[in-house]
Amino acid sequence: MTDLLTIDYLRDYLLVGAALFALGMLGFLSRRNLIVMFLSAEMMLQGTALSLIALSRYHGNWTGQIFTIIILTVAACEAAIALALIMILYDRRASLDITLWRELREEAAPDLVPIEVEAAEAEPVEPIEGPETYPQLTPAGVEPEHPIQPWTERRR
Amino acid sequence: MTTGSLLPTLIILLGAIGVYLLLPHRLGRAKPRSVHVAGATLTALGFLGFLFSIMAPPTTANPDGHYYIAAAFFYAFSAFALGSAVMTIVSRNPIHSALWFAAVVLSSAGLFLLAGAQFLAAGTVIVYAGAIIVMFLFVIMLAQMEGRAIYDRSARSPGTAVFTCFLILWSLVYCLGSLASRPEGVDEDPALFNQKLTPGRELAEHYRLDGDHSVKIALDRVFRTTSADRDAEGLAKPDVAGLGESLYTDHLVTVELAGSLLFAALIAAIVIANPKRSLRSGEPEPTPSDA
Repeated sequence: MTDLLTIDYLRDYLLVGAALFALGMLGFLSRRNLIVMFLSAEMMLQGTALSLIALSRYHGNWTGQIFTIIILTVAACEAAIALALIMILYDRRASLDITLWRELREEAAPDLVPIEVEAAEAEPVEPIEGPETYPQLTPAGVEPEHPIQPWTERRR
Repeated sequence: MTTGSLLPTLIILLGAIGVYLLLPHRLGRAKPRSVHVAGATLTALGFLGFLFSIMAPPTTANPDGHYYIAAAFFYAFSAFALGSAVMTIVSRNPIHSALWFAAVVLSSAGLFLLAGAQFLAAGTVIVYAGAIIVMFLFVIMLAQMEGRAIYDRSARSPGTAVFTCFLILWSLVYCLGSLASRPEGVDEDPALFNQKLTPGRELAEHYRLDGDHSVKIALDRVFRTTSADRDAEGLAKPDVAGLGESLYTDHLVTVELAGSLLFAALIAAIVIANPKRSLRSGEPEPTPSDA
């Protein structure tokens, strides 16, 4: 009874899972967009699920796959609650920036990074030619005053 | 540090520097194209090195070449998954991030399929396809397009984050690198038996032969027909049938708990997303006409 999933193959699966986990953690720590942070957390769960499935096959029982089903369940719950939170937070500040919510930290927590560095609001956007520049269009004419329709207002 | 661990360290260092160059600037300044090209080159080098280092020696090749086909698909899927993961976290545009994350999910579903988890591959694609569509709607509704927002073009202390995450990756690689093939003759030597990662089935069989009465009683749980992925004749069970059998016999309480968790999350999401009353005492109560 030879299984194709030998220990070398198992190690490869675990390495790929570890790399996915580390990259997801990097995205969660370094990006400032709430939606991208959420996607990175899901990526960490994918890496863990990959490791669990490979170990399940290697050990010859179903426990890892069942644990992965539980991970899917938890990811679904997390998605529901995280999207509701993103809605609420966007409603209050009209932005997806996570650094606007610094006051949710503990009072006594030290500022490891200076606020002006972490928030970085006031930087000049210099149009350097490259992948991060965008074309700027001249507005044609004067924008007419249009009445505010009830359905265009944001719900408060 | 031995020479065996020097090459993985170098590969991970290359990948770390490349990803750091590709991430947005700390203060949101635009990075010139040369920095992007250098970061992409270093990341690609580290990436190829990582793929090369996970190439297992084909000692277990079947004569029919089945192993090589599976290995080729494994490398294709893992390369696509890791590349898409890098693109997910360095994209300035959240729409591109969501698309690259969909690629991560699809290729890891392919890896699930290769590991023999057909049901979970299908389930992951179905569940995450819905989740990705919803994420897309959220991005289109809330985020500013094309990475115009300041918070999309600047990163939160990227140097520290890169150092932490690649240190974790390095230590995981270092630990997993010591996993090697079990040498021949280990089964006869109990002192060597626990040094490598032995499949649970073989370990249980070993101790069921040697152990005393209480060990045998405890190990009977391991050998229940529902929990193994092979039947009494040693043939592999069908995936969905075996998984369902194990899920609804061995792990019945787990299913109930997962259902309760989903229910609680449903209630929580409804409560969070519909703020009928202000939760803080200082804020005025909204009148019913506001709703």
